[in-house]
Amino acid sequence: MSDDNLIIYEEEIEKIDSILARMLKGAEAKCALLVDKDGHLITRQGFTHSLDTTALAALLAGSFASTKEIARLVGESEFSVLFHQGKKDHIHMSLVGDRSIMVVIFDDRTTIGMVRLYAKEASSELGKVFMALKGKSQKQGPGLTDEFAASAGDKLDDIFQD
Amino acid sequence: MVSINYASREVICKIVYYGPGLSGKTTNLLYVHKKVPQNSRGKMISLATEADRTLYFDFLPINIGSINGFAAKFQLYTVPGQVYYNATRKLVLRGVDGLVFVADSQADKMDENIESLTNLKENLEEYGYNIDDLPIVIQYNKRDLPGILSVEELDAKLNPHAWKSFEGEAVNGRGVFDTLKMIIKLVLEKAKGASRSTSATPKETPKPAPESPTAAEKPHEPEVATPPPPVEQTEAAQSPPEPAPVRETAYDAESPPQQPEQPSLEHNAVKLESATPPVLPQETPAGQQSGPEATGVTASRPFPGSTGKIARRERRITVSDFQPASREDEMSSIPKGLSEDTAPTDHDDIAGMPSPKMAPSTRVTRKKRGFFKRLFGIK
Repeated sequence: MSDDNLIIYEEEIEKIDSILARMLKGAEAKCALLVDKDGHLITRQGFTHSLDTTALAALLAGSFASTKEIARLVGESEFSVLFHQGKKDHIHMSLVGDRSIMVVIFDDRTTIGMVRLYAKEASSELGKVFMALKGKSQKQGPGLTDEFAASAGDKLDDIFQD
Repeated sequence: MVSINYASREVICKIVYYGPGLSGKTTNLLYVHKKVPQNSRGKMISLATEADRTLYFDFLPINIGSINGFAAKFQLYTVPGQVYYNATRKLVLRGVDGLVFVADSQADKMDENIESLTNLKENLEEYGYNIDDLPIVIQYNKRDLPGILSVEELDAKLNPHAWKSFEGEAVNGRGVFDTLKMIIKLVLEKAKGASRSTSATPKETPKPAPESPTAAEKPHEPEVATPPPPVEQTEAAQSPPEPAPVRETAYDAESPPQQPEQPSLEHNAVKLESATPPVLPQETPAGQQSGPEATGVTASRPFPGSTGKIARRERRITVSDFQPASREDEMSSIPKGLSEDTAPTDHDDIAGMPSPKMAPSTRVTRKKRGFFKRLFGIK
């Protein structure tokens, strides 16, 4: 819970971004998002300008979570890959480590096979990054300071006015 | 858990509104959506049934602005209240940082309140959370209705943990912001308590945030860090999103003037509204910030703008890191009349990857025409 905060540092994001960029280049996909299972967007690469990525992250994580329950009902622990096929654009989701989901959005310029191939490779690389991050977070500890909570209180009064 | 992203300089917390069916959870969110300034909130998404009962969850992201260089973002969720939606209700609780329990003050709804509260405890326990450790605020809603219990009675039955409680009339907004402010405060207190902040100073000191670009300007931002898009891809990327499924309802009271038929929030039955572009321009990807945004951080960026990416990153990721102006550009530069043989085909040098030549989009198929004509010698 709160003791288990997800903390990501720039160094890791750079690694993650470069893995995602390489995967996008190889698979010729449009964009990739890395979302944690709680619905928070971690990072993204590619053409995400036309997307509301915040909402997308929440919905995709919800979608992934619901398939986990479906998996349990059929005797699986979790489905590791999910694929939504559309008319033009398609979405490939795969599990990364134990708490993140890699989402690749692609169109007909490439194929599901290519995306799967590169996504699998990227997923295992990202898994390693997250493993390293886990150790690091525990070592360093998160960084919400006292002032943060105090200044937030002031901001709230400004924004939440009846 | 609170998500802290040092790269995009964001702190994201998840707050869930829980409670029995028809107690006013979605109404709370609708009021927040209506009253919070447009630049502080994102689009509200409601996965609801045809009768506007929440099916999976409602989602409203709000951004209270930059604090110490970090954008403080809160994601508000509601759960479906009906008993038989417990499976989905439980899913929404995953990773929750704070809870608002919206109770119905009417005397005849007390059993439902108690049942929902018991269910909340069970669901939290399944995730390994302890209800005593979680910041929780209770809202006694529907105080405007007849046949309600007094706050003391409600406290006695529903609030043995002595959580902070507020009276509410979510329909007209009474108590909504008080509840929300309190839960945000408790969540941040809790996150701070959990943190051992001494060692975790960010790598860069936050820069003052410049005035954010206006909504109209943002789509035209130059993209330094993105691959040079082929023409057709650019069009696809910039077109408005596909219409959402019917059951996904987007609430958007103050959307741009091109939607004059915008209904009011009280009639929350706007379907397919997300076919229109989102209220605000989309977030610029954390790794792709450029132009005016690259220099600034977060403060006045309209939601859901991501926090400003530091200029240092911009230097590292350059156009050359991405797809070189390779295949598509080369292919598009070839006059249509040229055969495949004259087109450059050697792309094996791309980042040491196996050549993706087999992708159908790039394969130039040579059709063998006139096979029978040649076979039979027909001119």
